[in-house]
Amino acid sequence: MGSLFRSEPMCLAQLFLQAGTAYECLSALGERGLVQFRDLNQNVSSFQRKFVGEVKRCEELERILVYLAQEITKADIPLSEGEVSPLAPPLKQVLEMQEQLQKLEVELREVTKNKEKLRKNLLELIEYTHMLRVTRTFVKRNMEFEPTYEEFPSLENECLLDYSYMQRLGAKLGFVSGLIQQGKVEAFERMLWRVCKGYTIVTYAELDESLEDPETGEIIKWYVFLISFWGEQIGQKVKKICDCYHCHVYPYPSTAEERKEIQEGLSTRIQDLYTVLHRTEDYLRQVLCKAAESVSSRAVQVRKMKAIYHTLNMCSFDVTNKCLIAEVWCPEADLHELRRALEEGSRESGAAMPSFLNTISTKETPPTLIRTNRFTEGFQSIVDAYGVGSYREVNPALFTIITFPFLFAVMFGDFGHGFVMFLFALLLVLKEDHPRLTQSQEILRMFFNGRYILLLMGLFSVYTGLIYNDCFSKSVNLFGSGWNVSAMYSAGPASEERSGLALWNASTVRHSRVLQLDPSVPGVFRGPYPFGIDPIWNLATNRLTFLNSFKMKMSVILGITHMTFGVILGIFNHMHFRKKFNIYLVSIPELLFMLCIFGYLIFMIIYKWLAYSAATSREAPSILIDFINMFLFPANEASGLYPGQAYVQRVLLAITVLSVPILFLGKPLFLLWLHHGRGCFGVSRSGYTLVRRDSEEEVSLLGNQDIEEGSNQEARCREVTCEEFNFGEILMTQAIHSIEYCLGCVSNTASYLRLWALSLAHAQLSDVLWAMVMRVGLRVDTTLGVLLLFLVIAVFTVLTVFILLVMEGLSAFLHAIRLHWVEFQNKFYVGAGTKFVPFSFSLLLSSKFSDDNGAM
Amino acid sequence: MLESADLHFNVDHGYLEGLVRGCKASLLTPQDYVNLVQCETLEDLKIHLQTTDYGNFLANETNPLTVSKIDTEMRKKLCREFDYFRNHSLEPLSTFLSYMTCSYMIDNVILLMNGALQKKSVKEILDKCHPLGSFTEMEAVNIAETTSDLFNAVLVETPLAPFFQDCMSENTLDELNVELLRNKLYKSYLESFYKFCKNHGDITAEVMCPILEFEADRRSFIITLNSFGTELSKDDRKTLYPTCGRLHPEGLRMLAQAEDFDQMKTVADHYGVYKPVFEAVGGSEGKTLEDVFYEHEVKMNVLAFNRQFHYGVFYAYIKLKEQEMRNIVWIAECISQRHRTKINSYIPIL
Repeated sequence: MGSLFRSEPMCLAQLFLQAGTAYECLSALGERGLVQFRDLNQNVSSFQRKFVGEVKRCEELERILVYLAQEITKADIPLSEGEVSPLAPPLKQVLEMQEQLQKLEVELREVTKNKEKLRKNLLELIEYTHMLRVTRTFVKRNMEFEPTYEEFPSLENECLLDYSYMQRLGAKLGFVSGLIQQGKVEAFERMLWRVCKGYTIVTYAELDESLEDPETGEIIKWYVFLISFWGEQIGQKVKKICDCYHCHVYPYPSTAEERKEIQEGLSTRIQDLYTVLHRTEDYLRQVLCKAAESVSSRAVQVRKMKAIYHTLNMCSFDVTNKCLIAEVWCPEADLHELRRALEEGSRESGAAMPSFLNTISTKETPPTLIRTNRFTEGFQSIVDAYGVGSYREVNPALFTIITFPFLFAVMFGDFGHGFVMFLFALLLVLKEDHPRLTQSQEILRMFFNGRYILLLMGLFSVYTGLIYNDCFSKSVNLFGSGWNVSAMYSAGPASEERSGLALWNASTVRHSRVLQLDPSVPGVFRGPYPFGIDPIWNLATNRLTFLNSFKMKMSVILGITHMTFGVILGIFNHMHFRKKFNIYLVSIPELLFMLCIFGYLIFMIIYKWLAYSAATSREAPSILIDFINMFLFPANEASGLYPGQAYVQRVLLAITVLSVPILFLGKPLFLLWLHHGRGCFGVSRSGYTLVRRDSEEEVSLLGNQDIEEGSNQEARCREVTCEEFNFGEILMTQAIHSIEYCLGCVSNTASYLRLWALSLAHAQLSDVLWAMVMRVGLRVDTTLGVLLLFLVIAVFTVLTVFILLVMEGLSAFLHAIRLHWVEFQNKFYVGAGTKFVPFSFSLLLSSKFSDDNGAM
Repeated sequence: MLESADLHFNVDHGYLEGLVRGCKASLLTPQDYVNLVQCETLEDLKIHLQTTDYGNFLANETNPLTVSKIDTEMRKKLCREFDYFRNHSLEPLSTFLSYMTCSYMIDNVILLMNGALQKKSVKEILDKCHPLGSFTEMEAVNIAETTSDLFNAVLVETPLAPFFQDCMSENTLDELNVELLRNKLYKSYLESFYKFCKNHGDITAEVMCPILEFEADRRSFIITLNSFGTELSKDDRKTLYPTCGRLHPEGLRMLAQAEDFDQMKTVADHYGVYKPVFEAVGGSEGKTLEDVFYEHEVKMNVLAFNRQFHYGVFYAYIKLKEQEMRNIVWIAECISQRHRTKINSYIPIL
């Protein structure tokens, strides 16, 4: 499990894929997800690449599949899940699959087209019957209310007779009838009026039933209208207007018999259409049901296929055009697996020539791979959010696993709250395979992904809560307090004078509001509480003063320890990258600077805790003053923590001051000396190339690279020639780094005081909540109080969860993150790496890889 | 005055302005054009457009791909964006946006009338109409025989109605009259839009007025250019010039007297803005006057994005998008007709 400390060693490998087997090999690689491909055709635009045709074919297939899926969901047929991750289809099957799908699509399109046509027909017929039914009443009404237009009834009854009558008028009466959408009626009527200048009569009525709009498929209200007009010309215009408003116009029967005939004909045709439509729909359903079985697995297959071709597009061809050359990053540990995958791919395609791989040396920085499991994943992502670690750099995630929950808990110290958090996280952890959790909404998913962090945060909060002795802001007396109040009380005045100590008697107890325990009186303080803060402090008025002093000192100690640890991790980095000079010229001066000032501060704090007892506490000097005096050298040095303090402090200060110029100038000067005096000995080369020298030798020993490949490699070496030596730049970088570090020591230490501030805030807030809510409920002592208590507890719970657990928890979480990113990681972590993204189907399917184009 | 605009603008229009600026950022870059020009087939073009913000807007098109399909889909996309802006806009931005659609409506009406004259079916022409300028009464346009007919019967309720005041006549609509109608409509439309922007004041006026002035002058120049060798009299020609441009009134008077391109050029030489424009005509790449005007328009539209808190960005965005669409269609045409020599003469959007 050393892999969490540093990222895995990577090697650059060339895969020689025989043209015939490339597809199968990549399929096998994608299933395993071992390697990251490098784009060798970066300067070739996407549509000029080798496998564009195949990618296009995949897109065509995808289009068909999307269409099928749409039709299937429209028909309300459940998509069967099928195999979750079927293998990419073998090349031979692709054509077959394409043919099948295309046939299916054509068939489906035809059937749906037919269906639509039938439906439209049916709709028209229905509309027609409605229109006939409604217009009959129009004519009757006209007869009743508008006696001037006698043409209507006459046309109804005595057609022949009336025709002559109309001819006498010199015009021909015409009818246009049909249906129009509700919203357009008014505009339609106005336009008719304007255009025909009143030579028309429009009657309309709303249809009771809503019908479907054949164009949009919406269900809307329709109006039936009947326009009667004179003259051909106006008739033309009316028809145009009807077209313009998308009216559905149907022929208007001139006689009652005709009307009846038409109606009868319509009803039989509607019957027929219904049966035909039903049969078509049944057939369609059958087709869709059959398609639904395979659509989702087909979609996955096509997606895999497309991914393979995208990846193949990144490969280059060798001169003979017989095999593809791919360059991949592969973890050294997986090389064996990689070989097996290639073998398997070649075997599957039955090729004569196997595909093989060849590791090559490179000076380019490999991507960073840190393998994580369920537990470490969350912590690694906290680190990665700051920056993905450089290749083979010390990975802070390993330490974050403990320090992060711990620093959080220092700010969130309350074992009641911690326990609730722990239980919540435990629930998530125990139910982690539950499907509803993994597919949950964004916020819950956030908690779910951080479940192990939460679990540890909860546990550590219980621990610090026990130390602070806080449970929902109250203390718990587990072992019995170490203080004894009764020893302070003396019955007679005699004892008071005997010891010269302020003891209580009856009158002091009666008259003073605040009484102070004096630990120097024998019997009052019987030794420290076994674990954590003594519960008696919960009653004391000077509790805050006591806790503040304790928490502040604790914060400083924790902070400086944390930062010093960071600097030490820097030494590991320098050792790994073979930059020993960095240890002497950077890390050690840094350590001295830190320890001589702040390390000494810790020493003073602890010394003071140990050296002074209750009796001597009045003579104890202030650490603050002593610490300031360390830099000011005051004239009188009478009081001090220990003899010889001034001498020690001067030595420490001298070391501190001396370490600063080393820090500033040491590394640049050393590099300058190297550059001039010792020529091009490769110490100044970047670290990982040196580390990888052995593998270089291995490669040259193997010596099986063909000549073309060798020249290729030389070219690459030339590309990454030794970086130019620029003294000014190095000096500037180092100066900036040193200034940042020296100032940072002070400001970062101060920054760790947030541990104290947040823990204080948390304690006070929970205290306030208790006082404002719980105490109110507890004060009522009638029977009603019990009922009230229910309510109060409900309110208390809700507020505790939302304010103290969620809000305070979030703020403590953020501050803990900041302490890690800024104060801890800037001591050693570069975080300039790129993440290793393997070509893997499982990644492809799990993430919503909808923008496949991005990969092109 | 300025401060108040800055203060309140975001309350009503901040969201849309942010949106339109985001949309502008998705315009094709010069690098995209370089790649597009290299395409061998329309399929390649489609693949490349997929990597841009057009996304897979052509994904559901069945093969074979044609230029007109690309064009329709692009127009649909633009229309969707514009409708979104319009549906979410408040006054006076919504009036501003309505004004923008008017020019497309004029074009559509004229297109339909021309179609009716040539006895083409309405359906066929409707497909060619710009979707931004479509309205319900549009299809009834061919009922009318005279302009006053057209106005009274069809267009009285549309936003185009106010522009009709100057062009009522009883002349039957033949091709020349339709063209005259278009120009008169445009003239009153531009003048009205100009007045609207001017009255609005603030930065909108500062940005939009120069753009509309340029638009007006461009129309004047183009009308003049197109009238050479037709029976249009000089006085008639003068009535067609929009009067809201920089050329008004002196330049327009001189332009009305111009008889050939060189005289037009001398008119333009009096104006600092148009002198370089006319000098760029011809040149080494053989640019037409239209191209040069387009380039100038693009420049002005891009500059509109340098100011904040005004409506000009909407106008500028739609115009830039249109130019981009024209470019893509041009490139697509060149590709499909295998006419690669001229493929590079698209108008670059900076």
